[in-house]
Amino acid sequence: MSDLFNAYTHGRFYDELFAGPDAPRPNYERVFARLARMTREELLEKQALADQTFLWRGVTFTVYSDNRGTERIFPFDLIPRIIPSTEWDYLERGLTQRMTALNLFLEDIYHDQRILKEGRIPRDLIESSKHFRREMVGFRPPRDLYVHINGTDLIRAEDGKYYVLEDNLRTPSGVSYVLENRQVMKRVFPNLMASCSVRPVEQYTYDLLNTLLHLAPEHVPEPNVVVLTPGVYNSAYFEHSFLARQMGVEIVEGSDLVVQNDRVYFRTTRGLQPVHVIYRRIDDDFLDPTVFRKDSLLGVPGLVDVYRKGNVALCNPIGTGVADDKATYYYVPEMIRFYLGQEPILPNVDTYLSSTPGDLKFILENLPKLVVKSVNEAGGYGMLVGPHSTKEQIEDFRAKIIANPRNFIAQPTIGLSTCPTVCDQQIEPRHVDLRPYILNGSSVKIMPGGLTRVALRRGSLVVNSSQGGGSKDTWVLSDEPVPQQSQREEKLIL
Amino acid sequence: MLSRVANLTYWMARYLERAENSARILDANTQLVLDAQLQASDLSRAWEPMVFVSGDDKIFRELYPAFDEAAVVDFTLFNPKNPNSVLACVNTARENARCIRDQISGEIWEQINRLYLDLQGKTVKDYQRIGSGQFLADIRQSILTFYGVAASMLPRNESWQFYELGRYLERADNTSRLLDVKYFTLLPSVTLVGTTLDAIQWSAVLRSCSAFEAFRKNRRGQINAERVIDYLILDEHFPRSIRYAITQAEEAIRAITRDRDHHFSNPPSRSLGRLRADFDYTVIKDIIEFGLHEWIDKLQTTIGSIHTDIEKAFFFYDTATAKIAG
Repeated sequence: MSDLFNAYTHGRFYDELFAGPDAPRPNYERVFARLARMTREELLEKQALADQTFLWRGVTFTVYSDNRGTERIFPFDLIPRIIPSTEWDYLERGLTQRMTALNLFLEDIYHDQRILKEGRIPRDLIESSKHFRREMVGFRPPRDLYVHINGTDLIRAEDGKYYVLEDNLRTPSGVSYVLENRQVMKRVFPNLMASCSVRPVEQYTYDLLNTLLHLAPEHVPEPNVVVLTPGVYNSAYFEHSFLARQMGVEIVEGSDLVVQNDRVYFRTTRGLQPVHVIYRRIDDDFLDPTVFRKDSLLGVPGLVDVYRKGNVALCNPIGTGVADDKATYYYVPEMIRFYLGQEPILPNVDTYLSSTPGDLKFILENLPKLVVKSVNEAGGYGMLVGPHSTKEQIEDFRAKIIANPRNFIAQPTIGLSTCPTVCDQQIEPRHVDLRPYILNGSSVKIMPGGLTRVALRRGSLVVNSSQGGGSKDTWVLSDEPVPQQSQREEKLIL
Repeated sequence: MLSRVANLTYWMARYLERAENSARILDANTQLVLDAQLQASDLSRAWEPMVFVSGDDKIFRELYPAFDEAAVVDFTLFNPKNPNSVLACVNTARENARCIRDQISGEIWEQINRLYLDLQGKTVKDYQRIGSGQFLADIRQSILTFYGVAASMLPRNESWQFYELGRYLERADNTSRLLDVKYFTLLPSVTLVGTTLDAIQWSAVLRSCSAFEAFRKNRRGQINAERVIDYLILDEHFPRSIRYAITQAEEAIRAITRDRDHHFSNPPSRSLGRLRADFDYTVIKDIIEFGLHEWIDKLQTTIGSIHTDIEKAFFFYDTATAKIAG
């Protein structure tokens, strides 16, 4: 056996590969066997091949630390995160249930507000949410779909169970990395992949396009779908253009769109063309300067009015952000019980709301042990990880929480599961999470797998790309037996 | 297609063509200087014209104290403050390609991205170490590979036509600038006309357009000013001649406007068509009599106004009065 695993420590965390020292879990047997036979040189060569491929393909994101917007590759780790099929079935059921309840919640909140009237969720909390859009009360979006795309972040705790950490119902990003990671893995480990019978992910963009077409006005025979991007300097521009390319639709900026006669058009070399569905990767606030932020140069004046008249569909609809407010998240299990009459399949992480007096007291007394999050931030910003913070940082947050309790929630510091990761020329455990992508069109569809993010710094629990995180390919194994041929191939070639 | 995308495609093509031609003009000048066996005191006069014909001499003077080789090479290839340096052109072309990645295949993008990555951080030191000939040949090769990949991958739709339009308009302009370099280099010593050195210099001009062999095959006999100018401006078949470039640009605009009503009522079709027709009725004597430099100046102005017509017709028209399709 190679010495790549010599420095591997088996701590108190759940490890995705090892059940114990030298005891791989069944879903990892083949990959472990392959890694165990691999020399250091071979491993580094493969990592270099993967990095080069990403750079040449321009799979990059933009960082703004130096004001110039430098492009970086999103660090990619060679060792896949592998999910057995039974585990995935469970996750799929849990996520479908959650998506169904969230859609019913949004419909309710923008119409009858039964859940508030019956006191299951405090009215205050919803009405004070920054992303609750009063302008949308009473509005019915196409096909009664109030949310079409959700990226739900899952973690696996020390007990080996999955928990939902948060929902992303505005414009969740990262799916292009899932698809690109898979392309690169196919190049780097072709035979290994074939022998493991990994479920494919490529159908995602096809499903996404169908989800979007489902929203078009019914009388239009060939609807025009566009992806609306804030522009090439946005950190996720690569993803916007990737998705447009894969779906074969136009990618547009706000300035490409014009509103005339209650319709939206895009400006082409042959005059104006009508637009029927907009997959917008711009937050509500910036969509239309005549309704939301007046200073927005990214949006389209008059767009919201056309949307309200039903002449153009938006994905996600306006106002979904109220459901990804981290304080609303606390009530999702309650929504599942209220709307579906079921118990949640996937549990939430224990959460404390600083807007309720009892919880506030608890939070302030236990700050060094907790993770505190600002309710509307994403990307690992506006967050305190108590055990890893200095006294000053903790006191700074204490003051912020007292000043605005509605703006924060707290959760116990959870030891995320670890996955073997290439670090410093050897393999070490690093913490990971998982973001599956859930589409809600004519039915709920979930791509098998999702984005596994990995905290590359030793001991770090923060997986966001802006905070030193990387990603891994996520393999969901199929139940189907591995075809004979690829087994043979593995013996011959690997 | 989207006006913004058409504009980006058009400029991507223009900037790449410009980068290629800057490398060619630099190569031509290096050859001219080598062959001229100049005294040290003449060297600055040998490098000044290059900057002058690009029209960027004002920026140059702000950046460098003198027109020596290292300064001109840095300015032409590497200085990001010169918007027409090869580096700046490649960066802009690649940025445009990034904006239209949904329109181009992965291979096309990878080719321009690699050209971009190869150029980052390079300096005059690298240029000197590798040698001017090899360094410039590598850049040309990389851009030519891009053209090859693009030609074999891009569907021949409107996007292709805007790419062609940009590429050939830029080429017509750039080839005229290349001829101008020779004009300025010659200027101080009119007595040289007709000498061996003159023939050698005109050969260098031909080589920088990769036209030497083609010229030899097509026009037997001696190499002199009139014959080389005739070939590079008026030849019907050589792909880097100005006439060929203008003809291709006109084909592109015809394809873009083909299914529109009254396409000659379209200002860019009209101005480009008129320019193309001019070439059909021009012989080299006319150009010499008009004055080569003056003729080139006039051509560049016409190309500039065709560009403005293109912008107004396709990229930045007024939406309030625009036609609504579908």
